[in-house]
Amino acid sequence: MPPHQCEICKITRAQVLRPKNGQRICSACFIALFESEVAVTITSTNLFQPGERVAIGASGGKDSTVLASVLKTLNDRHGWNLDLVLLSVDEGIQGYRDHSLEAVKRNSADLDLPLKIVSYEELYGWSMDQVVAQVGKKGNCTYCGVFRRQALDRGAAMLNVGHVVTGHNADDVAETVLMNLLRGDLPRLSRATSIITSTPSAAPPKDDGAVSFTNVKRSKPLMYAYEKEIVLYAHHKKLDYFSTECIYSPEAFRGSARTLIKNLERIRPESILDVVRSGVDMAKLVPGADGKCKGACGDSKAAGSTNAAEEEAEGGCGSSNTNSGGDSMVEMEKKLQQDERTEANGPETEVTLPANPKETVSIGVRHSHEAYSSLPPDDGIYGQNHEKNGASKATAVPIRTKQEKKSGRKPTRDAAAPKQRLGQCERCGYLSSQSVCKACVLLEGLNKARPRTGVEVGGGG
Amino acid sequence: MPGRRPIVPKDDSLCRRCQTNEPTITVRTEPLCNECFCRYVSTKVVKRMESFRVKYSDPGKERVLSLPLSFGACSTTLLHILSEHMKGQVERTGRSGYQLHIVHVDDGSGPTSKALLEKVKERFPEHTYSILPVSEVLSLDGVSPLLQPPLSSDANGDTSSQTEPSVLDLLATLPSATSRADTHRILLRRLITNFATNHNCESILWAHSTTRLAELTLAETAKGRGASLPWLVTDTASPSGPQNFYPMRELLTKEIIAFSSLTSPPLDDLILKAATKPAVSTKNTSIDDLMRQYFESVERDYPSIVANVVRTTGKLKAPGVGAEEERCELCEMPLGGAAPERSRLCYGCIRTLPGVRG
Ligand SMILES: [Zn+2]
Ligand SMILES: [Zn+2]
Ligand SMILES: [Zn+2]
Ligand SMILES: [Zn+2]
Repeated sequence: MPPHQCEICKITRAQVLRPKNGQRICSACFIALFESEVAVTITSTNLFQPGERVAIGASGGKDSTVLASVLKTLNDRHGWNLDLVLLSVDEGIQGYRDHSLEAVKRNSADLDLPLKIVSYEELYGWSMDQVVAQVGKKGNCTYCGVFRRQALDRGAAMLNVGHVVTGHNADDVAETVLMNLLRGDLPRLSRATSIITSTPSAAPPKDDGAVSFTNVKRSKPLMYAYEKEIVLYAHHKKLDYFSTECIYSPEAFRGSARTLIKNLERIRPESILDVVRSGVDMAKLVPGADGKCKGACGDSKAAGSTNAAEEEAEGGCGSSNTNSGGDSMVEMEKKLQQDERTEANGPETEVTLPANPKETVSIGVRHSHEAYSSLPPDDGIYGQNHEKNGASKATAVPIRTKQEKKSGRKPTRDAAAPKQRLGQCERCGYLSSQSVCKACVLLEGLNKARPRTGVEVGGGG
Repeated sequence: MPGRRPIVPKDDSLCRRCQTNEPTITVRTEPLCNECFCRYVSTKVVKRMESFRVKYSDPGKERVLSLPLSFGACSTTLLHILSEHMKGQVERTGRSGYQLHIVHVDDGSGPTSKALLEKVKERFPEHTYSILPVSEVLSLDGVSPLLQPPLSSDANGDTSSQTEPSVLDLLATLPSATSRADTHRILLRRLITNFATNHNCESILWAHSTTRLAELTLAETAKGRGASLPWLVTDTASPSGPQNFYPMRELLTKEIIAFSSLTSPPLDDLILKAATKPAVSTKNTSIDDLMRQYFESVERDYPSIVANVVRTTGKLKAPGVGAEEERCELCEMPLGGAAPERSRLCYGCIRTLPGVRG
């Protein structure tokens, strides 16, 4: 095949076949195009304030590495004057983070960006090694996932940074849109498509101007970038990242959505962005949506979207798959059939039913990796590992107290109902749908220095 | 009737509902006999026809509903169930709440459809029937110019010697299987809607099953048409023309197919069996094909999840549409002020038509 000339500069030989649209272009043009597209995303959504302090959630994987590189480049090029810092989480598992943290450290040096590594120990007083020593290997993933969810926000607050950006890409968002259609979860569908998934809470900032971790904004500047192009960008920019493949299969709904996305991309590459576009448009049609807070938030914008961050952040081992647990599709099917029977049979059996389909999904993925040592090598908080970031969503496992459970919410199919009423954790102030957030509940158990008891994760039933 | 049953424990070797006959089919975990299954199916449809009860129609004024018939299992079954429903209404009250105008779009692919339509007429002689040649889509507002292949529009004007290309010829010039299937679906829908409007049909009764609606939901999402979903999958006033109804929306395709062989006489010989497509390459697979295959398998293992997708999408709220609101020139969905510049087409249609892209 004769070499093609770059379709853009018409000078250099084409080296890249753009996955997004099949354009044949040279490496330099590809890099410039990729960067300018991210710039358009950022400027068209007014994502950053001039001079804003922004933490880049950095896992050492491809997405966050590319995000850091592009942001640094654009910041210099356009004089945005952003104060960028890399933020990584160390769970405190001997040897587990070594390679990825090394990659982040090299990035920090290459890009000349400061790096902050926050450890679980620093944030919660417990490293995962210590948690495992306390609770054993079974169930430790629950801790890891719950702690992780707040780690970036808490780390950002420690740095007095009010905005965390993550590497979620277009494939991730498209997958989440389809997944939530399959799961019948419109509120999550609409939140997945908004570029800013959390806005500062209703609580006013502290007088001293310090950032509270309940007041951290989350956004995903790469949400329109194809995963394949992120890989290409990393390759052509010779970026140094820690390549990880999750060894786990995703939970069933996400797996199903992922397969569909891969097939769609083969049929029509543009369809990844088309799914994202549909998701954005559908978000406006979710009952109760005002175009901003989109559905689920009962009261304030802040609550609705912050909850999304809570869920989104919840990646990692705690939620990456269902290998050792149930199959979320099977579980949901069972639950829905039960609902159908209830509807047909009248109310006599109603009280015995769990509350709603969403919780069934949660039950389905209530699981843990049995083997502590088999923790996946990366996590979803940075939007980093496409293999499972956001798989999270399926594991937004509500903790319900015994009383709440007894009060027997009526079975409802109304996915749009504001079932997650957001308030703040009465202990730590983190936005939470429960009076005490999951992290605090778990910490309480740990701090009482005894095996976890009395905390039911997931709806019973 | 469903919903009323004794508290005594059920004998699972017998039909869950009547506890008399042997079960022959399992419907969403319930083993049912033929009779109870058929009642289940027709009840699901009749319940959705609530707004067309006799008491809502003025004796002197007939409410005419259009029923598009493709000779597939779904539309043929809908015709059967509604025919029975109307007979029931007449028996009880002396008249029926509505009249049906059956419309079949003939794509000219052979004599089969005309012969089939005669058979259908024989079986259900009480309705009005029309055949619409598919070529009529070219006379719909704005369609012809949109479908012209980009080349011919700036050719030397030497078109006089050529015969007018048929719709199928024009569709064939579209660049992908997805574009062809997408445009075809849109044009058929517009044709039927246009026909219903011109024949004073107040509503169109689409025979989409749950499975079909779930397919449609994901396919349209994947084609960037998420914004039009409320008009495509819910019982809602259409932005243009008659109201759309989906009386079969709570029945799975497999249930409808099972039902169609259980009527007496069976509907089988009125149904055109869809030729099962051989496994094709990705190149020839459309997004619609992909979603059809996908939901075929989901329907088998997770029927309630299919139903849940449809219930969920049904909650999307169509925005209010002003009469003067701009609509897409191809699919006629409201543009909602969101039309990309220099275009009177929606996002999805720009994707589907080649050469329109700026
Ligand atoms: Zn070039
Ligand atoms: Zn707390
Ligand atoms: Zn029976
Ligand atoms: Zn359109």
